[in-house]
Amino acid sequence: MKSYMKATVAVLAAAVMTLSACGRGNDAASSGDGGKSNLDIALVSKGFQHQFWQAVKAGAEEKAKELGVTMTFDGPASETEVDSQLQMLQAAIERKPDAIGYAALDPEACVPLLDQAKQGDIPVVEFDAGCNSKVPVTICKTDSKTAGALAAEHMAQLINKKGKVAIVGHSQINSTGVERRDGFIEKMKKDYPDIQIVDIQYGDGDHLKSADIAKAQLAAHPDLAGLYGTNEGSAIGIVNAVNELGLQPGKLTVVGFDSGQAQIDAIKSGVMAGAITQDPMGIGRCTIDSAVKAVKGESMDDVQDTGSFWYDKSNVDSSDIKPKLYQ
Amino acid sequence: MSQLLTVEGISKGFPGVQALDGVNFELDRGEVLALVGENGAGKSTLMKILSGIYTMDSGRIAIDGDEVDVNDPKVAQKLGISIIHQEMNLMPHLTVAQNIYIGREPRTGPWLRDGELNRRTKQLLEGLNIHLRPSQVVGDLTVASQQMVEIAKALSYDHTKILIMDEPTSAISISETQVLFGLIRSLRDRGVGIVYISHRMEELRQIADRVTVLRDGQYVGTRRMDEVSDDEIISMMVGREISAGYSSRQDVPAHTGELALSVRSLSTKKLLRDVSFDLHKGEILGFAGLMGAGRTETARALIGADPVSGGTVAVNGKEVRISGPEVAVRLGIGYLPEDRKRHGLMLEQDVAFNVAMASLSSNKAPLGFLREGRARKVTDRFIKALRIKTPSSRTMVKTLSGGNQQKVVIAKWLARDCDVLIFDEPTRGIDVGAKEEIYKLLNDLADEGKAIIMISSELPEVLRLSHRIVVMSQGRVTGTLTPDKADQESIMKLATQNIEDVAA
Amino acid sequence: MTTQRAEDLADAGTQSAPGESVAAEAARSGRFAALGQGLQQVLAFGTLIALIIVFTIASPKFLTITNLSSILLSTAVIGILAVGTTFVIITGGIDLSLGTAMTLCSVVTGLLLTDAGLPLPLGVLGGIAMGALIGLINGFNVAVLGLPPFIATLSMMLVAQGLALVLSGVKPIYFTTVDGFSKIALGEIIPKVPNAVLVLFGLAILAGIILRKTILGRMTYAIGSNEEATRLSGINTRRWVLAIYTLAGVATGVAGVVLAARLNSAQPQLGVGYELQAIAAVIIGGTSLLGGRGSILGTVIGALIMSVLINGLRILAIQTEWQTVVVGLVVLVAVFADNLRKRRAEGGGHR
Ligand SMILES: Nc1ncnc2c1ncn2[C@@H]1O[C@H](COP(=O)(O)OP(=O)(O)OP(=O)(O)O)[C@@H](O)[C@H]1O
Ligand SMILES: [Mg+2]
Repeated sequence: MKSYMKATVAVLAAAVMTLSACGRGNDAASSGDGGKSNLDIALVSKGFQHQFWQAVKAGAEEKAKELGVTMTFDGPASETEVDSQLQMLQAAIERKPDAIGYAALDPEACVPLLDQAKQGDIPVVEFDAGCNSKVPVTICKTDSKTAGALAAEHMAQLINKKGKVAIVGHSQINSTGVERRDGFIEKMKKDYPDIQIVDIQYGDGDHLKSADIAKAQLAAHPDLAGLYGTNEGSAIGIVNAVNELGLQPGKLTVVGFDSGQAQIDAIKSGVMAGAITQDPMGIGRCTIDSAVKAVKGESMDDVQDTGSFWYDKSNVDSSDIKPKLYQ
Repeated sequence: MSQLLTVEGISKGFPGVQALDGVNFELDRGEVLALVGENGAGKSTLMKILSGIYTMDSGRIAIDGDEVDVNDPKVAQKLGISIIHQEMNLMPHLTVAQNIYIGREPRTGPWLRDGELNRRTKQLLEGLNIHLRPSQVVGDLTVASQQMVEIAKALSYDHTKILIMDEPTSAISISETQVLFGLIRSLRDRGVGIVYISHRMEELRQIADRVTVLRDGQYVGTRRMDEVSDDEIISMMVGREISAGYSSRQDVPAHTGELALSVRSLSTKKLLRDVSFDLHKGEILGFAGLMGAGRTETARALIGADPVSGGTVAVNGKEVRISGPEVAVRLGIGYLPEDRKRHGLMLEQDVAFNVAMASLSSNKAPLGFLREGRARKVTDRFIKALRIKTPSSRTMVKTLSGGNQQKVVIAKWLARDCDVLIFDEPTRGIDVGAKEEIYKLLNDLADEGKAIIMISSELPEVLRLSHRIVVMSQGRVTGTLTPDKADQESIMKLATQNIEDVAA
Repeated sequence: MTTQRAEDLADAGTQSAPGESVAAEAARSGRFAALGQGLQQVLAFGTLIALIIVFTIASPKFLTITNLSSILLSTAVIGILAVGTTFVIITGGIDLSLGTAMTLCSVVTGLLLTDAGLPLPLGVLGGIAMGALIGLINGFNVAVLGLPPFIATLSMMLVAQGLALVLSGVKPIYFTTVDGFSKIALGEIIPKVPNAVLVLFGLAILAGIILRKTILGRMTYAIGSNEEATRLSGINTRRWVLAIYTLAGVATGVAGVVLAARLNSAQPQLGVGYELQAIAAVIIGGTSLLGGRGSILGTVIGALIMSVLINGLRILAIQTEWQTVVVGLVVLVAVFADNLRKRRAEGGGHR
């Protein structure tokens, strides 16, 4: 009995500590220069620790400040925690904000909750990834299939439109993982028949796992011409694999996705040929903007593509690309 | 009419050990057959074969003249064979009732009927004169009470024809033994055949009709109890002449009078009230009492294994605070627990590992390295000295016979060389010959100047070995006797004192 | 130590006078005991060899120096975690905080080496010290507060995860400015053998010696076999549990440093799930979750089995989903085989 109580206290203490760790992400924009408009917007993201989400958050905060609305930004510790994200969404609905911005981790699990939001008359806009629901009025995202095709286009050019290519994916479930992969494959099939996609494996975006996967792929196919990593972790895994195997920079064409210091370094050093970046700050801005419009009842396109961009050694420092690279 | 049970030529080998080698015996209806033999002779193994736990390598078993194949405990149950195991097989987290009727719970469809279960159990326990509540959790009970639950369980099968009891009294006290004997007699009169295993001669005299002796897995012979003397049985068991149990009592006082341990007003929240006694160097202080009198609790409180609510302890005249067993051992006080399986042994480790446990800290090389070679040598010495029957010091303790496991616990504490040793039921499950050796050992330790507390439920043993006897009842010391003034009667009177006070 | 061996008893035979020839028997059975002790490891080692043979036949790309080197490197981090947690599991405990605690250690190393600009050895020691501290706290919660290990380390898993994110500011910490840091994992003192692998083997040998030859190891087995009996033998079990968890924490710290060195960065979001892989490796290696039984050699072989298996499946381009299924099945089979072996050894004719 006694030890049971002790256990409970310990768990609670741990939970509080973890929550306070998460909490630091939330408070930044909440004060704003409030007063002008009292709109309260709750963003529930797929994550908050990854640089990408930090950039989305920064963009959103920027826009929130500009429009004079208050916002919160929440997300689970890892992108596999569908359940805890749903709890965050639930909590957001119960708070009764003026609008909710939501990025779905799982396209089905969120459906009943969004219905609940609708019953509560809370307009929902989506960002990055959608839910299979009619409730949201719009989505601000990178069109991942287009982005995947863009990666394929550059990869094909770089390897002279022929040879073997493999993919290190980050998820076979979530929509960005699937669409970035499918956009890439479809483009190759359609336009570059001499390029053969020999293997696709998934490393959950874990740097270590992705490195081991890339090494195994290189062992199985020593004549591999190109490797495509569908997110930052996967791409860096490939870079690590190349470094660990001591391959000559450029011998293997590495195409990455997203940005981050390590990827930028790899591009500058030549280990990575180039990568696709999105405009996460643009996503953030678009989300807040749309949310405010939704509250006012203005109409918007169903999908707002915030764009995807190829960057390599030549343009990595350009004023076009630089703001879109999230560190 | 043919014999109730006929067993012929049973053999059973374990890897490297021939536990049984062509054993025969017969059991009649309405008979109590004693089965005796030294520790490791194969008694438990034989009974486990009869109850379907082990399968025999060769041999023949017939019930009512029909050959049967007891290859599973379920089959044994169907044939009317029940067993009370030497090592208890209860589930500590379940209640008394749940343990007794495990697998046979009264139910309606998928729903358990707890009320009915407890009612049935209550009836059974009352009929057996066992004072336990059906809803008590078995893990909270003392060893003795657990043993009574085992007995109740074995007797709860209505159609039992053959009842096997493997040392059922080793953990219970005289009064419960008498209750048990009453039960055995009534079962016998109903025609049940009973195999009774024990190392206590005086019990066999009371209850058995015939006795079968095993030695080293072999059948030695069967005699009628009223035609054979104790010495004859013992020499059949050990294969040579020794006489047991007739040496005289201790001289009083034998010790120098130097205090080793002095306990004043020791109390615990649960049971103990103002327990005080002195222990001198060179003295064997016996502790007698009924089960639950607080003897084990006194020992555990003394060494800091259980929390204390008041009282003082002085070692060699200096007051000390003993916050845990490690402090007790550092002060030279060792405790041999009564429940060897739960508190004394690491069953899955080998003999040397167990023997070394208490003396590790005093026997290590720099950097915390173990002195394995030395530990094995010490173990081998004790294997010889205590005649522990084991293939080697590397044998897993679990596979030793019950009595030999007990010897391993004793060896562990002898290896530590403590000044004060508390033996809690040290001869439980130990055969007659080995008992004599342990008695001699206790005497030798006392002669060396060690102070010894011996808790025992066997009054003859207490009377014979102790220089003084502390009698406890319901958590209090009700008297201290010298052996010249003590006898079974005077001890029992003190042991039941408080109870009578309350009743009056 | 705990396995009951046929060989061990083989010479004993029936004894007419027990005790008289015991010393001689002990001497004779000694050589068998050493052999028998390793039975589980032999079994695991056999599995490992079998896997290597199967994959070699299935793909000519498997058995190359480069790929073997990759396999060894991929064993390092999980292997180091597994070696440390073997101690905890032998005491009958479990440590769920391994993965995130490792991450926290790599973050601490990162901060010490980049933000604080400490010299390399100090940063490394700092990461290891962090691991020891986490282990100490786990040990305190288990031994002194009496919390069940599962709960104590579950809460630590969350605390460590949170702290890693807080301390790093939710950003990776790069070691690009710290010269030679990645050499800790990727340098090759022995050609084709990355240093991370040497760290693993060095640590494993040390841990093996501690477990078999020192009092700390003895206490690990004793507490796992019967904690109450250990306590009543006059041993301060709390102190030893504390020491054992701390030791496991040191290994976690080492894993954190090696991980950071291999990635040349501290990734604060990594680590969840690594604890289960480490525990799986320990179990495949024949260590019992019930406590009292296990070995470091087994654990190392278990970790190698896991990485060989995963690498082989990847080379054969088996779908990622199926890889997971196969690894799960291997854990199941390992535990089942161990049970079977144990039942045979003990039961005699038991059915
Ligand atoms: N499961 C087992 N594996 C190996 N050896 C065993 C096993 N069970 C019993 N033995 C051995 O068989 C022999 C007979 O053991 P058994 O338990 O039948 O003795 P016992 O007569 O009941 O002794 P005690 O009076 O001490 O209870 C012993 O040498 C013992 O070590
Ligand atoms: Mg027996």
